[in-house]
Amino acid sequence: MLDKGRISSVQLLFLLLIAELATAFLYVPAITSKAAGPDGWLSLLIPATIYASAVAAACVALGKRFPERVFTEYLPEVIGRIPGKLLAAIYTGVLIHITSVMVIEGAQFIQSNFLTETPVLALQLVLVIVAVYGSYLGIEVIARHNELVFPIFILSLSILIVLVAKDIKLHNFLPVLENGVVPVLKGAMVPGVWRGEVFVILWLYPYLNRKEEAYQAAFGMVLLATVLVTTVVAVTVGVFGDLYTSRLVYPVNVLARYISVANILERLELFIVIIWVAGVIVKLAIFFHTAGIAAASTLGLKNYRGMLLPVAIAAMIVGNMFYGSYVQVVDFLSQVWPYYGSTIELLIPAMLLLIAVIRKKGVSGPAKKKS
Amino acid sequence: MFKWLAKILNGQTKNQAALSSGQQWKDESEIETRSLSKHIDQNREIIEEIFDHCDDLIIHEFVLGADKKAKAMLVYIDSLIKDDLLQTGLMQALLNIHHESVRESSLAWIRERVIPTGKVKEENRWVEVSEGICTSAVALFIDGQKTALLIELPEASNRPVSQPITQTSVTGPAEAFNEDLHTNMGLLRRRFPTSRLAVESMQIGLISKTPVNLVYLKGYVRNGLLDEVKERLNRIKVDSILCSGQIDEHLQDSAYSLFTGIDSTERPDRVASILLEGGVSLIIGGTPFALLLPTTLATHMTASDDYDYRYWYASFIRLIRWSALFVAALAPALYVALISFHQELIPPSLLVTVVSNREGVPFPAFLEALLMELSFETLREAGVRLPRTFGQTISIVGTIVIGQAAVSAGLVSSGMVVVVALTAIASYTIPSIKLSNAIRILRFFFMFAGAVLGLFGIMAAVSLLSFHLCSLRTFGIPYLSPLAPLSLGDLKDTFVRVPHWMMQNRPRLTGYAELDRQDPALKPGPPHGKTDRRKGKI
Repeated sequence: MLDKGRISSVQLLFLLLIAELATAFLYVPAITSKAAGPDGWLSLLIPATIYASAVAAACVALGKRFPERVFTEYLPEVIGRIPGKLLAAIYTGVLIHITSVMVIEGAQFIQSNFLTETPVLALQLVLVIVAVYGSYLGIEVIARHNELVFPIFILSLSILIVLVAKDIKLHNFLPVLENGVVPVLKGAMVPGVWRGEVFVILWLYPYLNRKEEAYQAAFGMVLLATVLVTTVVAVTVGVFGDLYTSRLVYPVNVLARYISVANILERLELFIVIIWVAGVIVKLAIFFHTAGIAAASTLGLKNYRGMLLPVAIAAMIVGNMFYGSYVQVVDFLSQVWPYYGSTIELLIPAMLLLIAVIRKKGVSGPAKKKS
Repeated sequence: MFKWLAKILNGQTKNQAALSSGQQWKDESEIETRSLSKHIDQNREIIEEIFDHCDDLIIHEFVLGADKKAKAMLVYIDSLIKDDLLQTGLMQALLNIHHESVRESSLAWIRERVIPTGKVKEENRWVEVSEGICTSAVALFIDGQKTALLIELPEASNRPVSQPITQTSVTGPAEAFNEDLHTNMGLLRRRFPTSRLAVESMQIGLISKTPVNLVYLKGYVRNGLLDEVKERLNRIKVDSILCSGQIDEHLQDSAYSLFTGIDSTERPDRVASILLEGGVSLIIGGTPFALLLPTTLATHMTASDDYDYRYWYASFIRLIRWSALFVAALAPALYVALISFHQELIPPSLLVTVVSNREGVPFPAFLEALLMELSFETLREAGVRLPRTFGQTISIVGTIVIGQAAVSAGLVSSGMVVVVALTAIASYTIPSIKLSNAIRILRFFFMFAGAVLGLFGIMAAVSLLSFHLCSLRTFGIPYLSPLAPLSLGDLKDTFVRVPHWMMQNRPRLTGYAELDRQDPALKPGPPHGKTDRRKGKI
């Protein structure tokens, strides 16, 4: 075990939730409304949830077979030494890659909201330093920090929704299913894969103190994320209409700018948005931790902390090389990410689960209680 | 799933059910219900067992009578008994007995003929005897007697007890520790007249031989904590200990942190409340400040008044104090960030005022804030160092020169003065000096972050700090508990203070050795006939 920390199932639930929500709010509304039009909320409610539940089921089932090890540690045992190490290396690369996208997402968001004249690289650097410090301290610390951030995060979101609720126009949702089911399914691809980020449980499962509650945490995350993201998308579309939403850069952020209560409570958006930055930092810390653990376990190291610096540098370089602008990020997210994401989140873990079951690797049956 | 959530939410309250079944929630130890023995050696053994780990208990053995055959012993607690009275009065009287065989004569005889005071009781049960010893009585045992004499002596007061200087309170007791260990122990002993109060004394320092008393309540403190504290104390190998802060730094978990998990106090009532929560205290000779451990952030934020005021008001001031903590840390940083980066967040009318105030100020906001904060800290330090008689000078120079003159000279804006003053006031609401000092330093860090990257910089700095705080532990207790890790049941005494009759349990992490604080059915109210919940319980 590379990290000696232990987290409770509630902490795991919060971690998984913030890992999705922190960035999903920024991009999902625009991308989904582009594909699904006024039916975006349906995409989020049904197909995305089904997909994410499948991911959660596969990943937890796989984790349960190897309760004390992370994914990249037991890969060689499941599919043989060389292919296993190879796949572990690929996964490390993938984790670094998606972390780099998150760093750039966060940095661009901050740049466009707070510090328009500051170079993205500087913002990336600050984000990465804070997040890597968190992941250096271990999963337990991230989980505790998140216990402080998450309630405030949800609170800010609720305030936002309550304050703009009066501007929702129901006709923005009509007509329902105008073009049939296909746009709804298309619209579900990006948010589905986003929610599929529950697959980090493959690296978090060993730290869970009561393993039997893993399913509750994973499915709880899928359900709660469904409720929250669906609400946010529905509110955004309800206020702006699907066409306008799909053209906005950060629709929810514009929504926050929309708050006006009795002409006194205005210009709150930065205070609301700044809390999301805290969420992004937690998300980054989780993924840096995961990537560090993946890298260390692939290389067979005893301590993941030494891998954090190379991982962070690699993530920053990759991010700057490929995703210099907002357009490139959105392009990646809407064109590539659904296929790429579903392969690493669902396809490969599910196949590995199948192989593990057939080759009788790991512990089968209910996970034994840890003494 | 919901069951699971409910289970987590209710996890705290489970053990309450076990208690309410009518059994007495606290009973005396078996040994205390026994009667005294005839043999003095057996009595001595029992006393040593009852007062296990009480190093301030004195057992003085001697022989009585002209034939020197009657073995006797005086038992008392050092810090409660005035030494000269004991020596000149009682001991002399006892040693002057020229009766041939004291052994055969009854205690009543001694009581009538020898003891020079009338406050004497004859007891034969251990409960009364140990209680008497704990409330400033001297117990006299004589071999062959099945009873002991409890002789009450005037309480010791080696030095007059003064009022607390640093931690004042409105309605709480106004007595403070002083430099005399003896007096300090007496103050504590009087709060817990029971053999449960354990005192283990030791000496630290090769030359200074500073006496250090480790104080705790037996059965309330978890063993792991005690062993760890003792081990860390034994590890301190220095030539002298001159102040409590020295021991504090030697005992820390995280050697480099700004924050300390060991608070210090000069109030005996605060020590008492920490002991009741399963904590440990170190009373150190030569300093009026006792160390309390483990202290979490939440403990740092409590003041003894909180438990004295009615709970509504107590909760209200708690909330004020917590907000003041954030103001003290963040207000100048937010001001700098808003002025330099996010002017659009300031309402237009206010913005006009602020900008017109700042007109002509030659410094950027950050420099202005830095100057003002530094001059305030200098002023504060000067106020501490100055001899009392010069106090007036400082306040005049401080208010007039730095406040008014700087503004009218156009060096700083009046808005900045307001922010700095607010911050200063807020930082004085923090009850713990150690925490408030840490916040003082952090303020500059936040100001820098706000000046460089605006609100985002502040958020990044806060996240950094929060990660650090979450990683801190003090003697195994997470520094941020009960917030992170969240423990819902313990929030009853964090941001708010619930009524005393609701404070069923001690804090879970420190007090799990003896979780129940009181009888579960204490909710007050008038009698309600048949359904009176007060009946049937205890």
